[in-house]
Amino acid sequence: MTDKRTAHTSPGFLYAAMRVFDLSIGEMLWSRRTVFMGLVVGLPVFAAFVIRIITELSATPVTMNNSQVAGPVIFGLMMWAFFVRFSVPVLGVFYGTSLIADEVEDKTITYLFTRPIPRGAILLGKYFAYLVCTIFVVLPAVTVVWLLIVPIGGSLAPSFPDLLKDLGLLALGLAVYGALFAFVGATFKRPLLAGLVFVLGWEPIAVALPGYLRRVSVAYYLQGLVPHAMPSNSPLSLIQDLFREVPSLTSSLFWLATITVVFLWLAARKVSNREYVLEQ
Amino acid sequence: MTADHVSKWYGQVIGLNDVTVNVPPGITGLLGPNGAGKSTFMKLITGQLKPSKGTVTVLGEPIWGNPKLFFRIGFCPEQDSFYERMTGMEWVTALVRLNGFSDAEARAAAERALTTVDLMDAAKKRIGAYSKGMRQRVKLAQALVHDPEVLILDEPLTGMDPIGRRKTMRMIRDWAKQGKSILVSSHILHEIELMTTNILLINNGRILAEGNVHQIRDLIDTHPHTVYIRAENPRGLAREFLTRADVISMRFEPGAVVVETGKPDEFYARLTELVAEGSCGSVSEVTSPDDNLQAVFKYLVKS
Repeated sequence: MTDKRTAHTSPGFLYAAMRVFDLSIGEMLWSRRTVFMGLVVGLPVFAAFVIRIITELSATPVTMNNSQVAGPVIFGLMMWAFFVRFSVPVLGVFYGTSLIADEVEDKTITYLFTRPIPRGAILLGKYFAYLVCTIFVVLPAVTVVWLLIVPIGGSLAPSFPDLLKDLGLLALGLAVYGALFAFVGATFKRPLLAGLVFVLGWEPIAVALPGYLRRVSVAYYLQGLVPHAMPSNSPLSLIQDLFREVPSLTSSLFWLATITVVFLWLAARKVSNREYVLEQ
Repeated sequence: MTADHVSKWYGQVIGLNDVTVNVPPGITGLLGPNGAGKSTFMKLITGQLKPSKGTVTVLGEPIWGNPKLFFRIGFCPEQDSFYERMTGMEWVTALVRLNGFSDAEARAAAERALTTVDLMDAAKKRIGAYSKGMRQRVKLAQALVHDPEVLILDEPLTGMDPIGRRKTMRMIRDWAKQGKSILVSSHILHEIELMTTNILLINNGRILAEGNVHQIRDLIDTHPHTVYIRAENPRGLAREFLTRADVISMRFEPGAVVVETGKPDEFYARLTELVAEGSCGSVSEVTSPDDNLQAVFKYLVKS
């Protein structure tokens, strides 16, 4: 018996995180949140389907501000409006804030906290599970939207490289928002509210404002990675263009990676030092 | 396991008040009514909570922020919470993998643990479909799967049927014989007494007494012991109990009979026999409110 005990040494931090990932991924995929995620990413797929049906039936080109727009442009708009600015941050908020909170609420955190692994590894493993879970739902949905929308007045092959960039952008967006809200979830008492205020209140305002405030948002840096040109012939978009400042690709990647690493580290630290009092 | 002047506050509420105690090797029963501070003590001793004051050490090392100690500690929590979609085998295997076991080792260890708690037949069933007793046993399996030196069991017998209780108590005694140190909490003196004579009495966040159970046993016997039995045929059970001198009173609740007895040992022994005979149908739950224990605590506090 003693030999068996001493044979096992502490699993490394990343190894432990991967074991927590294995344990969590199934539970995360079959949770109530997955239904919510299905609705969030199902909405643009449904919209794309409707747009495609209408264009097929009416055989008239899609117009926007009295000018004709092709499928790749519509896809670019949908990517920005539905996915980058809504689905990804909202999923980040809902999943990121619940990484530890769900286990605490279900009172299953005890089983993880009484194993010989650092608490930070538990957070990281659950973060990886969130990332895989959301990526495997969001990216196929985007691909379906692309397949439905891009052929409207356009063709698939030339815009395929942009699709790959879009998928990379979304995966990165999920990673950044997930890390940010993992920290929010580990720190604040009402993380969901704080998260929603940030993504639906602060970010749209900050990105539209001139000056440096926009840099205190994730959306600003994600903007630097969007491969599509947006239609900009309306008076509003022309005014916005005057203030429009898009960070360079390198700068965006650097800051997004920094935000991810720093907030994951802070979240892991917070989880390690925090006491979780389970309701009796 | 040692607590040195340990206090724990939850905001304004005190969970544990200046507790100094040394839990010796062997089986130690932590006995106290609900809300006495047992779970707080258990959480402190398993490093889930940080003491507001004082220090808690296990196996000579501080437990807070020291996850490596869990190679040597197994913990069975009180709460009835699981990953309900996983099977017992999947769950225990996944947890022991966190101890650094390879996949094959983890599977073998999980099989051993589930066999020990007599749950191998249901190992491939979803935990969500387990009975209360099976859920308790799978919790025990995850606590002992890595063969720890120290087992900390928080109300491990809650909700088990009489035969399950008896088996579990025998298992706990066997683990102690194998050299494990075991701290087991309960609010039922009778249960603790069947496992060990060494107890810690806790109430209102303070250790009231520690040492030999027989010293307080006499006090307990002056207070009736209440037993709630959820059964297939509560009236049949009641008929059996009517003839017994130790049964002071009985009343029926939906699907259950609540019995007050002056001799809990004899009563539990007879109940186990009845369940084994099967003459009164199956018994799905046996619980004991802590009224009598509470009365003894009041007596101890007054004296």
